[in-house]
Amino acid sequence: MSLAGSMMFLLGVLWIGGGSIWLLAKRRYRFYQIPSFAMDLVGFPVEFAQSVWGRNGVPYALLLPNMVIFGLFTFAPMILNFYVSFTGGSSISLLDRPWVGWSQYAEIFDCESIFEPKSCTNAGFNFWTGMFNTLWFVVIQVPVLCIVALITALVVNKNIKGRGFWRAMFFYPVMLSPVVIANVWNWVLHRKGILNEAIGGSSDALTAMAGMTGFDIIATVLIGVLLMVISERALRAPDMPSLGWTVLFAGFLALITIWANPLSIIEMSGSPLLGLGLAGVLIWIVSNNYRFARFAVIAAGFVAAAMLVSIQFDAVFDFGRHRPVNWLVQPNTGWPFFWLVFVFTWSHMGFYMLILLAGLQAIPADLYEAAKMDATKPGRAFWRITLPLVMPTLTVVLVLSLIRSFQIFDEVYLLTGGGPGRETFMVVQNIYEVAFTSNNPDYGEGAAGSVLMAIVIAVFTFFQLWITRRQSEF
Amino acid sequence: MAEGRLTTFLGRTAGNKDTAERFGIADFLAYGYLLFGVLIILVPVLWTLFSSVKPERAVDSFDTRILPIAQVETEVDGIGPKSEWIYTDDNGNQKRVFKAGPTRRETDVAPIDDPDAVIKVPRTQLTPSEEIRVATENYLDPLLKRNGQDTFTFGIYLFNSVFVTVAATLITLLINAMAAFALSKYRFRGRLTFTILIIATLLIPSSIILVSLFFVVWSFGIFGSLWGVIIPAAATPTGVFLLRQYMLTIPDELLEAARMDAASEWRIFWRIVMPLSLPALSVLAILSVIWRWNDFLWPLIVLISDPAKHTIQLGLTQYAGEFDSDFHYILAMTVVSLIPITLVFVWLQRFITTGIATTGLK
Repeated sequence: MSLAGSMMFLLGVLWIGGGSIWLLAKRRYRFYQIPSFAMDLVGFPVEFAQSVWGRNGVPYALLLPNMVIFGLFTFAPMILNFYVSFTGGSSISLLDRPWVGWSQYAEIFDCESIFEPKSCTNAGFNFWTGMFNTLWFVVIQVPVLCIVALITALVVNKNIKGRGFWRAMFFYPVMLSPVVIANVWNWVLHRKGILNEAIGGSSDALTAMAGMTGFDIIATVLIGVLLMVISERALRAPDMPSLGWTVLFAGFLALITIWANPLSIIEMSGSPLLGLGLAGVLIWIVSNNYRFARFAVIAAGFVAAAMLVSIQFDAVFDFGRHRPVNWLVQPNTGWPFFWLVFVFTWSHMGFYMLILLAGLQAIPADLYEAAKMDATKPGRAFWRITLPLVMPTLTVVLVLSLIRSFQIFDEVYLLTGGGPGRETFMVVQNIYEVAFTSNNPDYGEGAAGSVLMAIVIAVFTFFQLWITRRQSEF
Repeated sequence: MAEGRLTTFLGRTAGNKDTAERFGIADFLAYGYLLFGVLIILVPVLWTLFSSVKPERAVDSFDTRILPIAQVETEVDGIGPKSEWIYTDDNGNQKRVFKAGPTRRETDVAPIDDPDAVIKVPRTQLTPSEEIRVATENYLDPLLKRNGQDTFTFGIYLFNSVFVTVAATLITLLINAMAAFALSKYRFRGRLTFTILIIATLLIPSSIILVSLFFVVWSFGIFGSLWGVIIPAAATPTGVFLLRQYMLTIPDELLEAARMDAASEWRIFWRIVMPLSLPALSVLAILSVIWRWNDFLWPLIVLISDPAKHTIQLGLTQYAGEFDSDFHYILAMTVVSLIPITLVFVWLQRFITTGIATTGLK
């Protein structure tokens, strides 16, 4: 019988047998009190502690099971990790493992430069590739997740119809298991899947439309009219431009900049960034209520009109034939990584949205009423009331999502398996494969990798906490 | 004038004059965002659901029509079941035929009702004769172990998953509530130490102790058994904190009154504190169910070698890996394993979202 088995057996005999005798000797139970007796039996150690040490012994007895499990399955492994990382071989018995000192670490660090995993030995290559992929993933994932969750929480917190329904819908993916998520998205993102089909269908339709005579003129006029209506709406109020319409206008401005591609005149390729930058600056100016906000919107309108005239719409909408992309398999395209971030956001956003929602609802409504009395614009209210007051919750979300995305394994293992090549190979997968999947498991190297990963996570978490603390001191 | 009144009328919303606001651009953007988000969330799931009832051939050929459309199979006298095609001749007459030979530019076909009258027709004039058919065999073959599909033992997987989820949740609730009760309602030496220890576990992510946890679980002899999955994560720091914060709001007078009546501490815990913490307990229960039902990496390490111990997640992974091309079965089994948690969600959704938002994780 195993160690745990015999321990459990002994404990069970003592608990159930001894407990029953002890309880029956002390109290009288009627027949219908059997459930009550069962519950007393469950708590027998606590009762026993109370009778021996009085009330002072009770909290220790109450804490015991929780702390035993923490001790055995969290703290002990934490310390054991260091020991295992200094041993070699593939034996499971701790006593059979030879002490190898720092050589597991030395193997991982056996590189010309750790920033170039290709210059490492095999172990180092896998570890550092995984580590840098993970860092890269975290750096992209955490802001994306937090921003999307914050926007969604803000929208869901508005006074809209069917709030419960929307909230539930955004939370639903959190309930799904990684396996289901991976199967669903594998099916959608397959080379012949629905996504490629939808893109192909709409690009064909647009190309056909762009091929019609007069399309260029009609599109220019339509979009021009649309721009006029939107900018008129944005500027309708006598003092400050309306934020909502400005956001819509900025979206169009970005789109037009991308289409017109003004940077191509000086042979540079940054128009999409330029467009998004312009839109961001415009929204920033209006939401901060700068005095020249009105002027900025008008100027942006003129810029947009000038660019609009220069666009050849039949060229813009002529996509040609869409060649199906193998989203999760095609190497050197960045798509596997993109979809990883997308699917991760898709499946985890709801949880962080709910936490942020709790933070938003804790903000007293009178603050907004007071702001409204002072005719504060919604944008200013957001930067000056909502954001500072939701900052503590946002910090929690930042830390939680950081630790969570550092540990990413399930989604990537099931979606891409680390591929194509090693493009989405993460550090946890490296630890898992080194220690558990090979025929000759190298627990020492896995443990050494875990220790290094723990150090990186700790550094990141403290750095983040330090930054956010500096901010909240303002 | 009339026009102005009309727009006022259409733009009017419920409420009195002060609270009523026109349906502005902000609302428009908000609803647009919500609709877009819900589409992104629902379309992949619904697409999987619709695809899972498509016949094998439609799935394999990546038919992108929503409805499950299959080619009609007809029993031809003396030949057996054949796929049915529609032949349209030059005059526009249509005839139900089956292919009597390989598909070429000029294909041999014969009418269904007269199998011997083989004619040569151009391939371009043949269209498949289609019907809407729900492919229940996608579900029934693996579940009833027909057609050689005997590796997906759904009953066993479901039992294991439910056992792990229920046992782990009950243990988690009990021991976390006990710890939270001790930390919130007693003053004793070492309380701060215990609190700090529990905070410390919050900062130790489970994936950095994988290797050594494996050694611990192995030496206890619970490696490869369901208890090896249940026990290690039963004590959750999140749960202790959530319950502790809630129990701090229970007035001490209630406990004192019970002590006056000579109730033992355990009975106070069980009869007073537990019922009063029910909202927080149910939030933790839901979180625990989600964590345990969807748990993947640790079960993968502990249980993978024994197929009889697989949870639904592991079983589905193995199954999808084994039959890489049998998409119709994989999709159907994905839907099957999605159903329990979706039902729980639909049943409890209001409670889950408000519960986590109001009680949880501050």
